[in-house]
Amino acid sequence: MSANLAIANLRKVFATGKPAVDDVSFTVEAGEIVVLLGPSGCGKTTTLRCVAGLEHPTDGTIHIGDTLVSAPARGLLVPPRARNVGMVFQSYAVWPHMTVRQNVAYPLKGRGLTSDEAARKVDGALDLVDLAQYADRPVVQLSGGQMQRVALARSMVYEPRLLLLDEPLSNLDAQLRLRLRDDLRRIIKAAGLTALYVTHDQLEAVVLGDRIGVMQNGKLLQMATPEQVYNRPADLFVASFTGASNFMAGKVKARDGEWGTVELAGGHTITAWFATGLAAGDAVTIAIRPENIRLEAAEAQNRYTVDVVSQRFQGVQTAYELQLGSTTIEALATGTTMRHPAGSSVTINIPPEICWAYPAA
Amino acid sequence: MESKATAGNSVRHGRLAAWAWSALLLAILAFLVIYPVMMLLLGTLTDSNPVTDGYAAMHLSLGNFFTVLTNPNVHEILGNSLLACAGGTVFAVLIGLFFAWIVVRTNTPWKGLIAATGMLPLFVPPLVAGVAWSILGSPKTGLINTFLAKAGIDWRINLYSMPGIIFVFGMYYAPYVYMFTASALRNMDPSLEEAAEISGAGPVRTLFTVTFPLILPAIISGMLLSFVVMLGIYGIPAVLGAPANISVLTTYIFALTSWAPPRYSTAAAVAMILMVVTGILVYLQQKVISGRSFTTVAGKAFRPRALNLGPWRFLTLGLAIVYLIIVVVLPTLALLVAAFRKFLFIRDIPSLFDAKQYSLLHFDRLFSNPATLTSIINTMKVGVITAMIGGVLAFAIGYTTVRSNAPGRRVIDMIATVPVAIPGLVIGVAYLWAWIGLPGGFYGTIWILALAFVARFLPDTVKALSTSLMQIHRELEEAAWICGRGTLSTIATIMLPLARPGVIAAMTLLFVLAIRELGSSLFLYSSSTMVMAVQLLGYYEGGNVSVTAAFSLVQMVILGVLIGITNRLSRGATGGVGRAG
Ligand SMILES: Nc1ncnc2c1ncn2[C@@H]1O[C@H](COP(=O)(O)OP(=O)(O)O)[C@@H](O)[C@H]1O
Ligand SMILES: [Mg+2]
Repeated sequence: MSANLAIANLRKVFATGKPAVDDVSFTVEAGEIVVLLGPSGCGKTTTLRCVAGLEHPTDGTIHIGDTLVSAPARGLLVPPRARNVGMVFQSYAVWPHMTVRQNVAYPLKGRGLTSDEAARKVDGALDLVDLAQYADRPVVQLSGGQMQRVALARSMVYEPRLLLLDEPLSNLDAQLRLRLRDDLRRIIKAAGLTALYVTHDQLEAVVLGDRIGVMQNGKLLQMATPEQVYNRPADLFVASFTGASNFMAGKVKARDGEWGTVELAGGHTITAWFATGLAAGDAVTIAIRPENIRLEAAEAQNRYTVDVVSQRFQGVQTAYELQLGSTTIEALATGTTMRHPAGSSVTINIPPEICWAYPAA
Repeated sequence: MESKATAGNSVRHGRLAAWAWSALLLAILAFLVIYPVMMLLLGTLTDSNPVTDGYAAMHLSLGNFFTVLTNPNVHEILGNSLLACAGGTVFAVLIGLFFAWIVVRTNTPWKGLIAATGMLPLFVPPLVAGVAWSILGSPKTGLINTFLAKAGIDWRINLYSMPGIIFVFGMYYAPYVYMFTASALRNMDPSLEEAAEISGAGPVRTLFTVTFPLILPAIISGMLLSFVVMLGIYGIPAVLGAPANISVLTTYIFALTSWAPPRYSTAAAVAMILMVVTGILVYLQQKVISGRSFTTVAGKAFRPRALNLGPWRFLTLGLAIVYLIIVVVLPTLALLVAAFRKFLFIRDIPSLFDAKQYSLLHFDRLFSNPATLTSIINTMKVGVITAMIGGVLAFAIGYTTVRSNAPGRRVIDMIATVPVAIPGLVIGVAYLWAWIGLPGGFYGTIWILALAFVARFLPDTVKALSTSLMQIHRELEEAAWICGRGTLSTIATIMLPLARPGVIAAMTLLFVLAIRELGSSLFLYSSSTMVMAVQLLGYYEGGNVSVTAAFSLVQMVILGVLIGITNRLSRGATGGVGRAG
């Protein structure tokens, strides 16, 4: 049955270099899908491999369900085969010398099933990933997307307590990736599995995850629902990695709980949501997502009249470069009409709740 | 499935199992490699005979070794060895480099064919080459001299001489230099040469000031390797040197053990000298390879520049054909004529084409001697045992060193590489010393031959298998662990099936190497475990050239078929047969 996963103070230091995973703690509830998101090299795979038992952590503990599977301080390390987890590898790792059915049936051996039961489970798993008609093909004759689904079926057929997925879509072409992204969440939820999913693609993370953990340089920066990560990024890195590409420097004028006012470098004043640890007089960086800036808006708060530097047609949206004080910011407007030619001026409104102030980097 | 309670203990069990496994491999390697080498060292440092005195009554001293080192006979023989190998190497470099250039850098016609047939000498057992050339070039009855006499030419050749040995060495081991230099030339950025030509250098000056200096590491490496191989060869100097009383280290070592009483400790000391010289050269070669400048070897494939030789390309083609005639056609013809002709005496040219002169007489005689068939059967047995044991051991070592984190895997890898620097003949002497004085009857069985071959070819087999194991993606194996399988089950169901082509190729290669091995067999066979290569030497020394030629042909056919199979199974087998000489 699905189990929860609890990671506490996990550290992994390889023989060379700085820690690959640095004091990471989080939990995954039974039946939940948690996505680890971060740029390449931030330690996502290493975290996942520590949970699988393929990597020996340097420090910290890992519980799967009630079982302590890894506690280097006590010399305890359960080998991968005894953890009862499923894993989909980045390279899929489907065995080329076997057929689809042989691949999927492989994990069932030695689990005390009759051959009838095993066959039924294999058929069920193949149905789930929609590969029933390919069952007796050699896997080398499959396409990339099909191999990926074989890997998925193989990792789920024995109803592991926990499913681990390492960038399972990154080797597929863009079209297929979109389709499988939605399928994957449906399949995992249908099987009722607890899953830990690793990706560097923020859209994948948002669509798949019940919660997202953002990592950088081996550290877990934020673990929250996709909505929270997108609307209340814990720090500047999370904000920029998830798409806030406008940054404005300024100084705190006053703070009132979660909110405060900032004087921007060009003289404008702006009201913003404040991250913790900011006080009057501190230098701050304000991050804003381009699609959150409202053009021609009527609200009074954070309203500015700005010059349009350029407009770029992007099909279903238009990108405008706007001059706000001494900084240039980008705003996106959906629709196929371009409304504000370069040189014109426009009134914009930046609601305080999408305007986040962080300690200056 | 392991229960929660025992899960923690399994780590410690796993660690214990890993230690036990490493200890087992080290014990096997100690038995196969270290113990014999130690016994060889012991033999070097004593003057007693292990057969009559046993191992207990030995007095150890450096005296024996010094006596051998200061013996003027040994000096002369060492000198002969170095002279023959140096001469042969120079000759081999000239031929090998020339062919590398022709094949890679010119528009000589039929380059591909030249490149392929040019490798054939590597597969000819040295004793067979020696026999063929003694039929062709012996001073009195050699076929070439017969022809010269018939043609009224006064000049005679004599291959029973130092120049004869150098000539045959150079001809047969040129492919080593070719292999190294051709691949270096292929990987060289042609713009380096173009830059020289734009600066005003002509093609010849470019060749000698840019091209050759740039591939110098490859030239030196091929040179050292061919020198090392020649140094360990027994068959060629035995056949061509003995009639002229020219001894080299290998023939001297064997002679020492066949005197009455046998001089085992002197043989060990001379073998030690041979091993030290070989060790130094192999070390130098490894250094040259590892220190090789990669500035000219970029990751991408260059379109090789083919120099347009114009009409000169027929000259280069002609030279290539001459080489192929000398190393392939003439020796084969010599063996055919000697084996199928009733009398080797050739009265005149027309009689050479007289069908009545030919018959299967010598083959009948060859096979009417039961020893012939026995030796073939013994050889096949030894080959199969060697391939089985060697294949399994090499897989175990390869897996342990490239895929596991078992303790001591570096040491295991190192010991498994040691035999690279030990000539076959030295392995033979070492095994003789290790087992001849022990009761139990291991010495003189087929097993001692097989184990000596396993040790001798371990580096080649391990390397071949490691390469094929490294090509298997790590995640394929990890996926099986995740699915609940233990190490052994994963190896059996995933690694072995995926590595199967590599394993089969390595085992076939081992089989081929084992059945053509002469050097180490010389010291380990007994009358009941006679193998083909030794039996051939027996026929040759018995003086019957025609039966010897017939048996040579039989062996070449057997080898040809097996090498054909090996090559089908793996492309990399060629280099492996190469090192064995
Ligand atoms: N086996 C290893 N040996 C040494 N360093 C490693 C090893 N595996 C990963 N690393 C390092 O650990 C860091 C994190 O790697 P990884 O977890 O693979 O990142 P991600 O999956 O987020 O791209 C990287 O800097 C990487 O170079
Ligand atoms: Mg990764």
